[in-house]
Amino acid sequence: MATVGISNPKSRLRLLLLEEHGIGEDPTVWEMDYDGGALPGDPRHTPEKLHKWLTSKKICPCEPRKMAETDLARKMEELSRSNRELEQFAYVASHDLREPLRMVATYTQLLAERYRGKLDRNADQYMEYATDGALRMQALIQDLLDLSRVGREGGKKQSIDCDAVLEEVLRDMSSSIRDSGAIIQHEKLPAVTADRCYLLQLFQNLIGNAIKFRAKAPLEISVAAEAEGKYWRFTISDNGIGIAPDCQENIFTVFQRLHARTEYPGNGIGLAICKKIVEQYGGKIWVDSKPGTGSQFKFTLPAGQPCEQGAS
Amino acid sequence: MQGAPEILVVDDNPADAVLVRESLAETSHQSHIYSVTDATEALAYLRRQRKYQMTARPDLVILDLNLVHRDGHKFLTVIKSDSGLRQIPVVVFSSSESLSDITRSYLLGANCYVSKPADLKRYFSAVRAIEEFWFGYASLPKKENDERSSCARIAD
Repeated sequence: MATVGISNPKSRLRLLLLEEHGIGEDPTVWEMDYDGGALPGDPRHTPEKLHKWLTSKKICPCEPRKMAETDLARKMEELSRSNRELEQFAYVASHDLREPLRMVATYTQLLAERYRGKLDRNADQYMEYATDGALRMQALIQDLLDLSRVGREGGKKQSIDCDAVLEEVLRDMSSSIRDSGAIIQHEKLPAVTADRCYLLQLFQNLIGNAIKFRAKAPLEISVAAEAEGKYWRFTISDNGIGIAPDCQENIFTVFQRLHARTEYPGNGIGLAICKKIVEQYGGKIWVDSKPGTGSQFKFTLPAGQPCEQGAS
Repeated sequence: MQGAPEILVVDDNPADAVLVRESLAETSHQSHIYSVTDATEALAYLRRQRKYQMTARPDLVILDLNLVHRDGHKFLTVIKSDSGLRQIPVVVFSSSESLSDITRSYLLGANCYVSKPADLKRYFSAVRAIEEFWFGYASLPKKENDERSSCARIAD
């Protein structure tokens, strides 16, 4: 028995004839580009007739490896297309959701402002819940937009001096660093190939987390980098509350939070953004941590051109 | 400034026009607010065509970018290339925070770009700040109908 399939991967019709020899044997696959010319007879022709026609045209069966390659290429193409569609979907959904949600949020606020204390106590409470829900959803949508932007806009690939990036982040965060009493130490950091804005976000999220999840002891954060082939491996260490081993994988997933919102604020998007940024450049991000002793966040990024002497 | 300010709100969402109205309900300027929901209607209003023949020319236009038939940018292009209308200040008031929308609006001659804040209090204060700036501090050109009436007075 044989199966005939026609697929259309690149606007060119492709004719596939699978011949099964017997149980356990690999089928022979006939594959040819079909240019739209006449097929041998009726489309409902028997596989036997087709086979005869293919051999008469001296069309040989495909090699299994070549078949696998075309198959792989096709799957890759499909995957990157569906990925693109997903990015687009996340962006459009979050962008278009913002507008009606703004209406819900402002009008529940307006209701609460105008009618607080004029209905009954339940009504006041309900309006508060509705406003709170709308405002939280707004924050979530903003986060989703930020996350989808990382992949969609395709960051630049430039050689960026991480020393300057970290200095800028520390300057931007100076008030929360001061308030937390954190002592931050760092070695001279190398240059990597990435987008400057993404790097700012990456360092800011990781240092921001170290500050947010600090323990009672005075907070100490250190930033270091080590060469690892064509990559640099960065380590951001803290002496904060740490993360239980079984949660260490989860923390990089969108909207995964390990603590109650009342304990630590935030939506659980920061590390998901970090992961997306690092992976966009072929790097990895992970954490080594012991609850009670602190965390070491590590990530790798491709090396950039070394900084010019005297530029520092 | 003679008389109460006239403001035209062009926004496809009537709920937004209500919010602008609410924002300015208790300010000292006592602005008159008119609202239309699409660009065609807005142009008819500004050109005093059809049912708008007797309306006063607005002192300020507050424009949303997401209009249905013609988008806000196109509307901006039309009024800023109309010699009779281009002196009317246009404040773009949009929920878009994208840099391309902002840049494009200024390139097309918008006088100001303000993003609609998502929080009610900030929304109110943004609209009040727009009103206060244009009618409390800025000097505005004479309106066409004002000129006509002053000419008539001189002729008398």
